[in-house]
Amino acid sequence: MLTVNNINKHYGDNLALANVSLHVPSGICYGFVGPNGAGKSTLIKMIASIIHDYDGNIQFSHNRLRIGYVPQVISLEETVTARDNLNFFGKLYGLRSNTLKIRVNEVLSEIGLTESGKNKVQTFSGGMKRRLNIGCAIMHKPNLIIMDEPTVGIDPQSRHYIFQMIEQLKNDGCTIVYASHYMEEIEQLCDEAAFIDHGQIVENGTIENILQKHAVPSIYVKGRRCLPDEIEHDCSVTSKNGGHLITTSDPLSAMEKVISFCKHNDGGIERLELVKPRLEDVFFSLTGSRLRD
Amino acid sequence: MNAMINLELKKNLQDRGLLFWTLILPIIFTVLFIAVFTSGVGETESRQVILSIVPGYTIMFVFFIMISMTESFIKDRNIGMVARIASTPLSPYLYLLGKWIPYMYIVLTQVMILLLFGKLVYDISLEQPVHLLILSVLLTFMVTGIGLALAVIVKTNNMGIALTQVLALGGALLGGLWMPTDMMPDILQTISALLPQYWAHQAFQDAMTGALQVTKLIQTSLILSGFGLAGFIAALLRYPKFLRRAKG
Repeated sequence: MLTVNNINKHYGDNLALANVSLHVPSGICYGFVGPNGAGKSTLIKMIASIIHDYDGNIQFSHNRLRIGYVPQVISLEETVTARDNLNFFGKLYGLRSNTLKIRVNEVLSEIGLTESGKNKVQTFSGGMKRRLNIGCAIMHKPNLIIMDEPTVGIDPQSRHYIFQMIEQLKNDGCTIVYASHYMEEIEQLCDEAAFIDHGQIVENGTIENILQKHAVPSIYVKGRRCLPDEIEHDCSVTSKNGGHLITTSDPLSAMEKVISFCKHNDGGIERLELVKPRLEDVFFSLTGSRLRD
Repeated sequence: MNAMINLELKKNLQDRGLLFWTLILPIIFTVLFIAVFTSGVGETESRQVILSIVPGYTIMFVFFIMISMTESFIKDRNIGMVARIASTPLSPYLYLLGKWIPYMYIVLTQVMILLLFGKLVYDISLEQPVHLLILSVLLTFMVTGIGLALAVIVKTNNMGIALTQVLALGGALLGGLWMPTDMMPDILQTISALLPQYWAHQAFQDAMTGALQVTKLIQTSLILSGFGLAGFIAALLRYPKFLRRAKG
């Protein structure tokens, strides 16, 4: 769907993006992950044709490309109704008369605002505004949707609703570029992702491959006299929530050792579990910084 | 661009603050000042005061549209609307036009209503309606042209309000909208002749009494167009910087 080739972008003396290259295949959800200020929004705006002055190029492979852009901030006219906002963006995208009217009703239904369509946006909750923010970007049925942190500052219900919308858009064949600093969103929604830090891509690929390549398996154990000496010597052990997080290349063997040790030493296990590798830990191991830093 | 014009008009027509600035406050000022300055004077002098105050306050208050223009552009910039619209097929210059034209409609309507108010309440004469229409259109172009420049130049709403006050009130004082210029010192009379308010005021008064000659109409038209065009060109020159800032 789109290929980014050797993008460089400066703001004055500051390098915002350095040698950024990536490929987003059609029909997938591709995540941009990185802390605030990493360069995600700049890259998003380049792909959305908002920023033009940069080195390198962006190529789109679709013949009839229609881009929908969902900005990070809620960019709506709040003194008029939801319907007015959708009408406005629909007209900007070239929809007219009956087609526009039908599409406004469809989108209001898709974003769950049919009942509130005639209400002024300023009366909406944060979640409703976020949904309308997305609705305005899908008026023209885009085949590439670019979302810049679309769930910032909303309640779990609205986030869940937006996730369902995104899943539906994916099922309809849309390609989605999704920027976020919430790792769990990227893990849940995206097929592929690029880790961006200080304007550079530090890793990219499918979520599964990134985890396989970088995540170190670990187990968590909590209990009385349940940590064998050999594990303390051979593995990395850190205290966590009153138990121990054991990082090891062979988690099953470590679990067996813990169970065996407890049996023979009258130990008691309250909790013993495999810890699922997390993208956040991979990001930390690659960049040395947490996402919410 | 029509979508932009329609949205901007709809937004402004619902704005009670704009209604206050454009119509209610000028009417209150007009009524109050006419009451004050005509009390205890003869009929002839009263007519002269009314003839000066009605167009004078109309010209002064059309300048306050600059506050709404500035607020609208700054809001669009701050909430990411400019960047968002840049991702749609609407070109940035059509966006600029689409934001500008509604304010021309608003100011032209404001001028018409305030003059009609003068006609209905104070029975002012409108002897040369075509000349008055031309002057109203050019006054509108001049004010919104300068307003457009201000809107893309200032960085905050407060800056916009402050500069609008300077242009509106300073121009009204020096341009003879509050008192006849011949009561001013010579230096101020010279400054007055450099201001569009002065020329507009003189021409409006003449057109109302039927004394506006074509040469004076052309002269005033050129002056008002010149100021409007200067504002428009300044806005165009500054617009790329506004866009860069808005797009982040």
